[in-house]
Amino acid sequence: MKARANAMELVGAAMVASLIIVATLAPLLAPHDPTRAVANSFGDPWAPSWKFPLGTDELGRDVLSRMIFGARISLEVGLAAMVVTLTIGVAIGLAAGFFGGAVDFVLMRFTDVMLTLPGLLLAMALVSVLGPSLLTILIVIGIVSWTSIARVVRAEALSMSQRDFVLAARALGAHPRRLIVRHVLPNVAPTIIVMAALGTSGTLLLDAALSFLGLGVPPPTPSWGRMIEEATIYFRVAPWLATFPGLAIFYAVLGFNLFGYGVLRRRTR
Amino acid sequence: MKTARALVAIVVLLALAACRAANDNFGFPRGAMVLRFASNDDVPTLDPAAGYDTASWTFEQAIFDTLVRYGDADVELHPAVATSWEASPDGTTFTFHLRRDVRFSNGRAVTAADFKYGIERVIDPATLSKGMEYYQEIAGSADFAAHRKPHVDGIETPDPYTMIFHLSGPDPIFPHKLAMPFASAVPREVVEKWGEDFSRHVVGSGAFKLREWIGGERIVLEKNPGYYLAGEPKLDGIVDQIGVNPELQWLKFESSEIDFPEVIPPSEFPYVMKTPALRALTLHKSTVTTSYLGMNCQMPPFNDVRVRRALNYAVRKRKLVEVLNGRGVVANGILPPNLPGYNPGVRGYDYDPGKARALLEEAHFPRDLKPALWFRAEQTNEMLAESVQQDLALVGVQVTLKPVAWGPLLEAIRQPHNVELFMGAWEADFPDPENFLSVLLSRDQFGSNNETFYTNPEVEKLLKEAQPVADMKQRYALYDQAEQIVIDDAPWVFLDHPVSYLIVKPWVHDLVMNPMRPERFERVWISRH
Repeated sequence: MKARANAMELVGAAMVASLIIVATLAPLLAPHDPTRAVANSFGDPWAPSWKFPLGTDELGRDVLSRMIFGARISLEVGLAAMVVTLTIGVAIGLAAGFFGGAVDFVLMRFTDVMLTLPGLLLAMALVSVLGPSLLTILIVIGIVSWTSIARVVRAEALSMSQRDFVLAARALGAHPRRLIVRHVLPNVAPTIIVMAALGTSGTLLLDAALSFLGLGVPPPTPSWGRMIEEATIYFRVAPWLATFPGLAIFYAVLGFNLFGYGVLRRRTR
Repeated sequence: MKTARALVAIVVLLALAACRAANDNFGFPRGAMVLRFASNDDVPTLDPAAGYDTASWTFEQAIFDTLVRYGDADVELHPAVATSWEASPDGTTFTFHLRRDVRFSNGRAVTAADFKYGIERVIDPATLSKGMEYYQEIAGSADFAAHRKPHVDGIETPDPYTMIFHLSGPDPIFPHKLAMPFASAVPREVVEKWGEDFSRHVVGSGAFKLREWIGGERIVLEKNPGYYLAGEPKLDGIVDQIGVNPELQWLKFESSEIDFPEVIPPSEFPYVMKTPALRALTLHKSTVTTSYLGMNCQMPPFNDVRVRRALNYAVRKRKLVEVLNGRGVVANGILPPNLPGYNPGVRGYDYDPGKARALLEEAHFPRDLKPALWFRAEQTNEMLAESVQQDLALVGVQVTLKPVAWGPLLEAIRQPHNVELFMGAWEADFPDPENFLSVLLSRDQFGSNNETFYTNPEVEKLLKEAQPVADMKQRYALYDQAEQIVIDDAPWVFLDHPVSYLIVKPWVHDLVMNPMRPERFERVWISRH
């Protein structure tokens, strides 16, 4: 049981690490500039060949290079959005769980209200109002995806705050801030890490969905979701244009999910 | 096993149901020649005074008659109800001689008074017609519009089959305005009977008459047996299924439920072009349209002609046409090649990024500037905008893309000092250079169609000089001069003249596309299939 859980975790970690390496070394790995026309394939995408292993698109750009640089933007958005998500979710969850009572009630009803709003629609509305840019995408994704983290963290914090060591610290007169930061948070952290890993796949997908709907990071920055959207026109004549970025999204989501569930298994074995 | 059998039964039943739907001839007898198509949106109106869009005109052309009309595939004036016409030498009086055998589908003879009534309805402000401006040059139209006169004095009908128009100034292209559906013969008694509801109960003298119009569902036309041309129309009827989106239309076309879809969806076009059997079914036309990248001539740095010229050298127009899979012709200047008066000798800009960079350098183009390129949010446009963005980046101009819906885009670009760069296009209403040069690039169109806020006194002078000239050679020479000056001033990057495509089932014959108007159906026929 333990070995299997670890294998999952390891494979996931390796997949995520490979993505990070590709994203970091993108300028070295990519054979061409992802925004420039390098082939004469205007309006008539070229199939994969030795020169262009994943083909070229309707504007003459190299698909492989766009995929590699797309990893960069996807990871950036996925991880940074996760940071925003965690900041909001953990703050609200800890406060609600630790303080309880009226604070808990107000924060959790607010969370319930947010949960009733369909995430994608809310994100689309926000992006349309704020205008698509890297920063707005991060914030918007954070705003629509913190709720589940807040609920899990609240539950954990609630049980932690009743534990003996917390009660002991409280009896010694520790300030609530010290109680949260030194006693509750470190014990909730493993849960947060799991939630973060699993949540990143969610933010990646949301980013891809927004890009697909034309609300993602604006062109010429290559992004996987946008590559799929642009490829729909050519789906019957050049299916590879949509297939490769689709596989990339699949790979990234799978990596983060395996890693997240792996960690979870190990902790709950 | 049982489930499998049930499934088969369901599939067979569904298939039968589908066959029935396809063979259900919308009330026409079996074997009747019915042309079937579909459209996404309902037809806005069938009232010729009100319609000003492709869908409305498609049906108005079929139901009503005008004095003159364009050929099926050309933009020259041909006789319709008027068999002949002549202009006075000064170009202010036009006399039309009408056929005597034209009848409304209710049986009453069509006379000059019916055309007069039709045009007066358009001029009357109470009708709220968008065609009003085209007939204001008829003498006495202002008095009529202000209710000072019961009729437009400038329209004379000395006998039921002669019509004389007196204009307040010379206008050699006036007869073209009578080829618009606005100027159709309309039966007064029917309009007065139905009032606002006339659009739903139209009666005209055209080749077809309205059989039924179920809002949001379908429009059915049937042959007008009393049509004045013997042997026309050849079709027994026309059925337009409404509320069918382009993707569904494509499926219906593939299953032969309709004879042609409104458009070939962008997602299918490359496939159609690569499949010889489908490609053979396509028709295409060069539209009398010019697409351009507008630059606001009053907003820095685009108020500098060197910057505007640089952009003209920087954009790879041939690539744009290739990205469109060949659906366009590279533009050298303003006028499309199939517009009478087009000058093939016009000097445009060739692709030359080196020259573009040098000009930008000379103009001290601010490198940190990131102007927004506005365009109509739509997949094909987005591809074109990205291609332009790519080209401009190569000469050091970074633009951001701003896709906007059509209404807001139009609103935004008409405000002064608001939009620096935008993608626009203009399609001719009449085949004359005036319709491009004066409408898009003269000073009195600021806040309206002159969206680049371009003005040049020399051009203004030439346009005013050319407008009343009836000698076409002289007229076109003046417009050519004006066009060359505008091209040198470069308020636009002249992009391309779009080519539009249609795909039609092989059993539909003699359906042809017109460069400037919707397709006509009088001569269309269908072979057994």
